[in-house]
Amino acid sequence: MFEDVESFYAMCKKQLIYMARYPINFITSFAIVFIIILMVILATTLFIGKEETNYSFNAIAIYGMILFMFLSDTLWTIGYNIRWEQVQGTLEALYLTPASKFASLISRVTISIVWTGLNCIAAVIFVYYVFGALPFKNLIFSTIVLILTLSGTFGFGFCFAAFTLYLKESANLAANVLQFVFMILCAMFFPFSVLPDSVLKISKLIPLSYGVDLFRSSLMGYPEGFPELLPVNQEFLIILLFGIITPALGYLLYRKAEKKVRTDGSLGMY
Amino acid sequence: MTEFTLRSNLDAMYTVFLARVRILSRYRGWFLMDIILPIFLAAMPILLGRAVAGTSMEGNFLKNVGTANYVAYMVIGANLFMVVSNSLWHFGFWLRNEMQMGTLESLYLAPVNKIIILGGVAMYTTLRSLISFFLAFTLGCFIFRVNPFQGDIGIAFLFLLVGLIPVYGLSFLYGSLVLKLKEAEALINIGQWVIGFLMGIFFPVTVFPRILRFIAEIFPPTWMNNGVRSALLGLNYFLGEWYLDLAVLWAFCIIMPLAGYYVFISIEKSIKKNEGVGKF
Repeated sequence: MFEDVESFYAMCKKQLIYMARYPINFITSFAIVFIIILMVILATTLFIGKEETNYSFNAIAIYGMILFMFLSDTLWTIGYNIRWEQVQGTLEALYLTPASKFASLISRVTISIVWTGLNCIAAVIFVYYVFGALPFKNLIFSTIVLILTLSGTFGFGFCFAAFTLYLKESANLAANVLQFVFMILCAMFFPFSVLPDSVLKISKLIPLSYGVDLFRSSLMGYPEGFPELLPVNQEFLIILLFGIITPALGYLLYRKAEKKVRTDGSLGMY
Repeated sequence: MTEFTLRSNLDAMYTVFLARVRILSRYRGWFLMDIILPIFLAAMPILLGRAVAGTSMEGNFLKNVGTANYVAYMVIGANLFMVVSNSLWHFGFWLRNEMQMGTLESLYLAPVNKIIILGGVAMYTTLRSLISFFLAFTLGCFIFRVNPFQGDIGIAFLFLLVGLIPVYGLSFLYGSLVLKLKEAEALINIGQWVIGFLMGIFFPVTVFPRILRFIAEIFPPTWMNNGVRSALLGLNYFLGEWYLDLAVLWAFCIIMPLAGYYVFISIEKSIKKNEGVGKF
């Protein structure tokens, strides 16, 4: 156990050193968030008449964006990092060490999740001061929903990492496609009510949609019509199961994929 | 002694082009992504707009932008953004990939002028961008039920073609940054969003404050974007007439590639003198 914690710490440190060597990455990730927010809000203002102001739409877009950033981060950092180790030729070497595979996976996302968290806080402060007050209600409950949803997205990340071992170079493409598919299907920048019925049916099959819905509805203090998909307790139950089952399932899938590529001898191949 | 003729230079350019096409043919999903991505990008403001304004969205959009056809406006913006963004990605990543694969130095040792190699990459990027633009635009029009045959298609096409030339000048500038700073991913990521913001993919640049608007207006993709939208949707050109806006783009066609190539060569020279182009 202690060895696992130690190897996790060492891997996190290695990730941090690697990130610190590319400082422009740090700066640009902050800047991109502000630019995207500005673009979304400027685009929204074109549809609003001069006399209308409705801050809840800023809240919908910003709170959705927070989950989008975490999802995107999880997909890229867990899955694509595995790919990067393949490209660098260090993946097989890593597997020859007796270090915990789970720690190896988690360490990839820990540093960047902290960084994304800081980005999100900065984004919320930016919108709060530039575009006006954002509702911050039910903070404790919203945080629990966020943590459970994040845990679920970790599961997605593990599944994607498993997928990466098979897909190789196409993993990059798959991560890109997936993040945009989830962005639309999980209505991350707009309410579910604007989705066409056929798309909404698919959205309701994705547990992450309930995470998005409940997270922003609770932060907005459940205005009329929110949450949009199901009552609060039912949505919470789905998110709870999503947060517990998906990481376990994802990790199981990853171990299976890993075993398969090790048996095939294609672990380091790219 | 090797003799460099026009034919041998064109052959070299074609070979670079062919190499890129072959790599693309091995990763066909990349091309698919070029076609799908603008649809997702356009969907975001369209759905957000519907949520914000409901039934009055067309009227509000007409009042704020000058056309009620918000769907076509967003589809055009998203597609042109992809054209510009792709030129940066393709060029920046070509350089970065060559660095990482360790083939950039060998490429520099080849007995061929750099402009020929860059020309081959630009040729590949142009063809890929244009094909994906037309496919993505057609698919976007089909999905969002927009009539693609509206307005002055010829003028719009002219703006697109002429607008691509300064965009490749920009990608040379970008390439020099990648050579110098190495971090292509970060640079391209930030660059594409800054460009999307400045060219106004989801809104007219007239919403910007004066200084930001000035910056946007000295930026060639803004003129291309506005030109294509004005031609297809009957919006106002920046200078009132299409030929005046096009004349500005022609001026960019001279300035940008020259400036881009000059900066690229200067930075490349300084890097060759110091750490070498292969270091990453």
